[in-house]
Amino acid sequence: METISKSSRRRARIYSAEARVAYICLIPAFLGLIFLTYVPLLSVLGISLTSWTGLAKPEFIGFDNYVKLFTTDPYIKDSIIATIYFALLSVAGSMIYSLFIAMLLNRKIPARGFFRAVFYVPYVLPAAAIYVGWSWLYEANFGFFNYLLSEIGLSKVLFIADSSYVVPSLSLISVWLAGNLIVIFLAGLQNVPSVYHEAAEMDGANGWQRFLHITLPCMSPIIFYNLLMSLIANLQVVTPALALTNGGPGNSSRFMTYLMYDQAFVNYKLGYACATTFIIFAILAAFTAVLFKTSNRWIFNEGGDDK
Amino acid sequence: MSVATYGRLKSKKRKTRMANVITFVVVLVFAALVIFPIWWIFRTSLMTNAEIYRYPPSFLPGDWLFSNYEKTLEVFKFWKYLWNTMIIIVPSCLAGTFTATLCGYAFARLRFRGKQFIWALCVGSMLLPAMVTLIPLYIGWTRGLGLQDSYLPLILPYFCGGGAFNIFLIRQFIVSIPRELDQAATIDGAGYFRILFSIIIPAIRPAMIVVALFIFIGLWNDLLQQMIYINSSDKFTIALGLTNFRGQLKQDWSLTMAATCMSFAPGVIFYLIGQRYFVEGITLTGMKN
Repeated sequence: METISKSSRRRARIYSAEARVAYICLIPAFLGLIFLTYVPLLSVLGISLTSWTGLAKPEFIGFDNYVKLFTTDPYIKDSIIATIYFALLSVAGSMIYSLFIAMLLNRKIPARGFFRAVFYVPYVLPAAAIYVGWSWLYEANFGFFNYLLSEIGLSKVLFIADSSYVVPSLSLISVWLAGNLIVIFLAGLQNVPSVYHEAAEMDGANGWQRFLHITLPCMSPIIFYNLLMSLIANLQVVTPALALTNGGPGNSSRFMTYLMYDQAFVNYKLGYACATTFIIFAILAAFTAVLFKTSNRWIFNEGGDDK
Repeated sequence: MSVATYGRLKSKKRKTRMANVITFVVVLVFAALVIFPIWWIFRTSLMTNAEIYRYPPSFLPGDWLFSNYEKTLEVFKFWKYLWNTMIIIVPSCLAGTFTATLCGYAFARLRFRGKQFIWALCVGSMLLPAMVTLIPLYIGWTRGLGLQDSYLPLILPYFCGGGAFNIFLIRQFIVSIPRELDQAATIDGAGYFRILFSIIIPAIRPAMIVVALFIFIGLWNDLLQQMIYINSSDKFTIALGLTNFRGQLKQDWSLTMAATCMSFAPGVIFYLIGQRYFVEGITLTGMKN
């Protein structure tokens, strides 16, 4: 009896020493989670119910900001459309491009490591510089793309200065930047057991059938991961608007995060901007939820073990 | 083996070789397309303005005017911007990696009350988009703590765990190390911190390098937060300096492209040195989730 209580006391002491170490290790993260994540998250809601401009004391105005956003705001509708349009184009483009390149790189070709490095390079360049650099390629009179168009006999396009071309033009840059997706896909492809392919080939399956029935199912968890990450990143797009377009021409590239930036840091309508933030958050959450909800339908778990 | 199957095998071999040649050519074309914009920007940076506007444009600069770079440096204070950027990036990478390792260790190995709850907080914050907390954080740093025109709002968050994603990555890595190692060390009388520093950290060095790289890329690509927190031009980072410079010199494309190329350079050099870790790291994130 005594020995049991003694040993349990000793175990309790070890546990408490262990817990003390754990708490010390977790202090930084805990502070961060509280003060940099959850308190600000609640504050967004709180501030969004006020008419704060940063100067006078914030005044509680209920849901007025939200009502105004949905009824009289001149930008929000265009902004949501532009963002979703950009995100869908960029995500679709970069997923197809990166899976395609990864599959090519997965074949036995010389200098594979070199090519992988080449495709990855755009990803390590600072975003602001990328947009400035590409603005020259898209230049209206002497830019490279207009040179190409004139060579094949088409008339000039203003690209980022034309409201109907600006979003596709910026999406093309996002696709170009998708080198990290290629590397992840490539790693995934190398994990697809080659026996599957060999067996299917024996049975006379052609390349397309093997892609559809072996590669895609085996890759589905990684496709999901890439899809989720690139969707969240692209829905938060802001750098091209900040570095290049200032939301223009018109409102055609006034992406949601840029709209929020403009309201909060150019016009100092902090309360109003927080309401916008909350709407953006809701849209992002909706997209993420849909993706997660549909995921169990198309993600293939090998052997059915959920790990 | 019959002659027929031998023949079929041989033709199949020839077919695969053919396919590989085609693949190689396609990859080569795509790689050229990916590199091309960078080349076009670089070639522009070495040209006179007259040469830039010539039609048809030439793919090589005529004179390789490296003097454009000297001219650019008179207005575009590249070295200063680089230094400023490093003042933000270096402490962030070090602190972020270290604190993420501490947290990852606690979650992976230690038993304590409230673990489930804190872990849930942590994973939950991973799904929270960064832009949501931007305005309250701005108010907190500038109004609450009076940190206007300062790098601290950009650096200090990395002293708080370096982001949930990085903590998660480190934890997954530590979980995959056999526990017998630390148990043996415990028997030898090593404390929890001893185990962390002498067993865990050496074993997860690749993951730590990856975390440092992620923090680096995050800060390197960030323009929004730098715009919000930094006002005075002598505190400009590369990203801020370049966007500002472009505003000043709207039409001088060769100088703008020279400044762009200079901004590209540190990333490319860093990448060439650490290429292996970049690729391994990106791969890891895909596999560990």
